Amino acid sequence: MSSRFHAGLLAAALPFAAAAAPESFTVDPYHSFPYFEAAHLNTSLIRGHFEKISGKMILDTAARTGSIELSVPTATLTSGDNDKGSRPRSRDEHLRSPDFFNVAEFPTMSYKGKATKFSGDHPAMVEGELTLLGVTKPLNLTVERWNCGPDPRTQGKRYFCGGNATGSFKRSDFGMKFLVGPVSDEVKLWISIEAFRD
Amino acid sequence: MTVQELLANPAVQGGAAPFVAGLIAAVVLGRFRLGGLAVVAAFATAVYFIAGFTFSPLSATRKIILLGLAAPLAGIFFDFAFRPTRLGAYLLTIAGAAAAAWVFWPVISQKGLERSLLQGATAVLATAWVVLVSERRLAGDSVRAGAAGLALGAGTGVAAIFAASLTYGLYGFAIAAGSGAFLLVQVITGRRIDAGATFTLSATGIAILIAAAAMVLAQLPWYSVVVLALVPVAANLRVPMGTPLRLQAVLSSLYGLVVAAIACALAWHAGG
Repeated sequence: MSSRFHAGLLAAALPFAAAAAPESFTVDPYHSFPYFEAAHLNTSLIRGHFEKISGKMILDTAARTGSIELSVPTATLTSGDNDKGSRPRSRDEHLRSPDFFNVAEFPTMSYKGKATKFSGDHPAMVEGELTLLGVTKPLNLTVERWNCGPDPRTQGKRYFCGGNATGSFKRSDFGMKFLVGPVSDEVKLWISIEAFRD
Repeated sequence: MTVQELLANPAVQGGAAPFVAGLIAAVVLGRFRLGGLAVVAAFATAVYFIAGFTFSPLSATRKIILLGLAAPLAGIFFDFAFRPTRLGAYLLTIAGAAAAAWVFWPVISQKGLERSLLQGATAVLATAWVVLVSERRLAGDSVRAGAAGLALGAGTGVAAIFAASLTYGLYGFAIAAGSGAFLLVQVITGRRIDAGATFTLSATGIAILIAAAAMVLAQLPWYSVVVLALVPVAANLRVPMGTPLRLQAVLSSLYGLVVAAIACALAWHAGG
């Protein structure tokens, strides 16, 4: 009786044991994008995003801890204006220049953070540091819509998590001082992210 | 319009304010053989308004700013400690080439071999060439030196904007404004102000580094940089014997500006 009982108990406990251990995730590059937004001439909000992102995430829902590392190739930036038309250059080309993201000299933007607040099993706040233009400054992200579960596209064979993380920073803190005023100093960042369990 | 809004205007930051600073420096320091500091006054004014004097991390642009501030000190040393010699010009040429390599190598080394070689060679050789021509041909002729600084600064400014960098454009215009102020004082007074390495290193030397930066970090084609490097040669072209100083200033500037305009046209068409 006892060996069967113990085996049954072990089998029942296994899923919880797996959930309790720290789990490693790899960012899904096809469904994860960092977006940014800045005010133009105190009127409209110009939005753009980076077309590529990579990273890893570790999540331990039982211990309510987690960490994330993201790397963004800045040359993949687009704001929807990549045709110069009758102008000298397009806005995307300008955004890649030393006036803004200086992608030739600083080809990577990165973020490292730790989940510091949880709402139930879900991370709600990430405190971390953004490295942009060679400058590292604190940046906290608020996590929304977080959800984990079996991936329906693989009939549940893969397990994944995802949600949105938002925050904002002053670009001048990172040395991006070109036309601060006409183009807002404050940049809103939101990252839509999905990651598969390794 | 408030003063703050006025000072945030790029035309003020890269043009009007640097011009005023350059004019004051040329008038006040000209009598002490230091009128060439007009350019660094103009350049430093533009840097103050556009980016500020922050040097960490030491990016390529910040290295150019450092060199822009150090160039007149080296120039003063050469002008006051030595008589102009061929050896001195060669030493400054080597220093110019080394400065270009120091500024751009960290960026260029991240690019593919072909682009590294092309952009690296263009940046180093163009800088060396401009410094050599400026020291050998222009340093002793303040009108031609002023004209070269004006044309190369303006050409670099326009070409950099065509290459997608307004920041480099404004720095180019600031050098043009300082050189223009240096030239204007001579035109108004009818008297020459010493140029020397104090002026040429700050004007043509830094302007060609900015042009090279617009190539390496923005989208200025390499052949535009090569054409810009010919501006000092154009400004050195002969003017008729006995031409008054004012007319000489106009003609030399015009020669330089024609070549600079070709570089700008090439930059415009390079965008497709």
